[in-house]
Amino acid sequence: MGSDMGLIVKTTARATIPLIGIFGAYIVSHGHLTPGGGFQGGATIAGAGILFLIAFGFGEMKRRYDHHLYSALEGLGGLAFLGIAMLGMGVAFFYNTLWHSGPFFNGQPGTLLSAGYLPVMNLAVGLKVFAGLVSAMVAIAAYGRWKE
Amino acid sequence: MIPFQFITAFLLMTMGIYALLYKRNLIKLVLALDIIDSGIHLLLISFGYRIEAGQIPTAPIYTGYETVKSAMVAPLPQALTLTSIVIGVCVLSLAMALTINAYRHYGSLDVNKLRRLRG
Amino acid sequence: MMLPYLIIIPLFGAFATPIVGLAGRKAREPWAIFITALTLGVAAELFYTVWKSGEILVYTLGAKSPLGQGVGFPIRIVWEVDLLGALFALMVTFIAFVAVLYSSEYMKHDTGLEKYYTLVLVLEVGMLGIAITGDLFNFYVFLEIMSIASYALVAFRNDTWEGIEAGIKYMFTGSLASSFILLGIVLLYGQYGTLTMAYLAKMIAENPTFTAKVALGLLAGGLLFKSGAVPVHMWLADAHPAAPSSISAMLSGLVIKIGGTYALARLAFSVFGMGVSTKTVGWIIILFACATLIVGNAMAIIQTDMKRLFAFSSVGQIGYILLGIGIGLAAYGSDVGNVALAGAIYHTVNHAIMKALLFLVAGAVIHQLGTKNLNELSGIARKMPVTSFAFLVGAAAIIGLPPLNGFASKWLIYESSALFNPFLAAIAIIGTAFCTAAYIRVLFTFFGRPSERVMNATEPGKAMLVPMLILVLAIIVMGLFPWVISEKVMIPAAKTLENAGAYVTALLGGA
Repeated sequence: MGSDMGLIVKTTARATIPLIGIFGAYIVSHGHLTPGGGFQGGATIAGAGILFLIAFGFGEMKRRYDHHLYSALEGLGGLAFLGIAMLGMGVAFFYNTLWHSGPFFNGQPGTLLSAGYLPVMNLAVGLKVFAGLVSAMVAIAAYGRWKE
Repeated sequence: MIPFQFITAFLLMTMGIYALLYKRNLIKLVLALDIIDSGIHLLLISFGYRIEAGQIPTAPIYTGYETVKSAMVAPLPQALTLTSIVIGVCVLSLAMALTINAYRHYGSLDVNKLRRLRG
Repeated sequence: MMLPYLIIIPLFGAFATPIVGLAGRKAREPWAIFITALTLGVAAELFYTVWKSGEILVYTLGAKSPLGQGVGFPIRIVWEVDLLGALFALMVTFIAFVAVLYSSEYMKHDTGLEKYYTLVLVLEVGMLGIAITGDLFNFYVFLEIMSIASYALVAFRNDTWEGIEAGIKYMFTGSLASSFILLGIVLLYGQYGTLTMAYLAKMIAENPTFTAKVALGLLAGGLLFKSGAVPVHMWLADAHPAAPSSISAMLSGLVIKIGGTYALARLAFSVFGMGVSTKTVGWIIILFACATLIVGNAMAIIQTDMKRLFAFSSVGQIGYILLGIGIGLAAYGSDVGNVALAGAIYHTVNHAIMKALLFLVAGAVIHQLGTKNLNELSGIARKMPVTSFAFLVGAAAIIGLPPLNGFASKWLIYESSALFNPFLAAIAIIGTAFCTAAYIRVLFTFFGRPSERVMNATEPGKAMLVPMLILVLAIIVMGLFPWVISEKVMIPAAKTLENAGAYVTALLGGA
């Protein structure tokens, strides 16, 4: 299987993948303060996964990728999003009850622990987007193997 | 005078529709769909750009917004554009998956070869 | 208030399906059936509430009131359900429930079923969202959810070339149509600065600009694309036969109506009704409707593929619905327009049930015999009597024979078009003649001399027969009380759709 890259690419990938992951996590967790959010951060983290796939090849990726785990994670992200949206069901669907009366995430606007359900929702969306994009990329990479 | 960003958006949409009508390669067609969407996104984003009192507006970032003196652009078009981009990503990945599958079945990316369904 | 659960329950079901799928292979089908049944219950309750009170329900997402702080106009996403939306939500959940019940046996031999049920539930979410939404961008999001799920479902059997080719054609035309719709919405936002349908209606009535008319043109063009009107119907004839039959039933019965004609009617009446000349818009829709009627039904005659015949017949029936909507717009406010609109709504519901039944029959034949070519299916009635009986009822209903439900709705459309313009009634009757010819041909095939291939055929299992019999029962019961249903449900639904002022005041108050 000659689908993985050379030594330079592999070493660089090893060095940058954690950094990309950290940057993605920053974008997700600051989604309610700065441009970005769940989708953008999740896509960034998935970029780390795609870099791994390209640098180390499909065989290596396949050993570390569990299809059931990722589709369950994707479902979990969606469920968490829906559950948070339903927290304020007493007033309305998507009512930001954490912000108005909740025990946490109700700090001064502009600080990290503010904006009610938004940071939690960003985490849920980030999880879903990360799992979904990595699954899609692996599936597309797996299509390319049909000749072998 | 028509603002230049509207003209650019219109040109992008026209280019996309031209490519969709006259190109034969499936991947080019997928890109054409994306270009049309980009044109619409540019149009939508530029609706939020409003110069108030001669000040150039800044991005809608709320951290430390008291210290920023100039106006902000309207945040709603940006939210709508982000939603639309997410939808675009879904369509794009589905289109790519279908294109790969089509190549598997037809051995070609030429859209003219995809004519087995008739009647 | 049960309204948000209409979205929450199928969405929850869709997200939880992969996790339920981990529990075992047997758990997915009961889960999907349970979720769709629950949604059907919620929709029935919602329909009963709206029908009994006759009011328009307004639900604001994220707050108590849609109006912003200190400003007099709505800034939040609202859902607005009148009788028409509630009726269509009931129709969607009913057909989806039947299709899911049917696919528990029909799809048994396919792989990747947790994806299949996820996509079916997402498709249902999209259609329900379109039926209840009162916000234009929300409408676009739900439209895209519905469209993406249906592209993926058409190409679900990706080991066959038919599914892939049809999926690609459907995806390109559908995405282009979606882009038109998005452009229309963007132009409206740029002109009026709001996306709430009711407030937009008020603004357009006060100041109908040229941009609003261009936006209406783009929206109508995109929605006619999505409903399969004639110059752009070719994707429909490819996509609906290539999908698995349970999905064809949902696509032909629901998607082209909710994402096409219902959205068109909602935009034309509720949003643009007070601002633009309804007569012009109505006549444009009537022209498309006449072409659709003739071409769709005529093309159905020459098909040899059973599902393709049904798909072209769907094109023809969309013509009737568009004709009703067009006359309703052109004769806005008069009795004729009201009757035509009621006929269109009635025919939408009837056609959803009939075409779902016919595609389920086609699916049963494919499942048992492995072919959908009419030349090989001669004499199937001897071996599959229940299936053939279901087909007989469905075909008689779609032609419009009196004791069945298709008669009443077609009669309302004929009657109103004859009163409006006799030429249109003549076209409608010619369309029905073509339709009759097409179905008589299939009927002769089914009841003819048995060919060798069908000698070994057997009836499908219970999980496939029961959904068909539910639909047969629905057709017969609706056929027994046609004028009661028309008086109690369809005419009031048409009146609420025509009354655009009430749609605005329900949200904005007495202003």
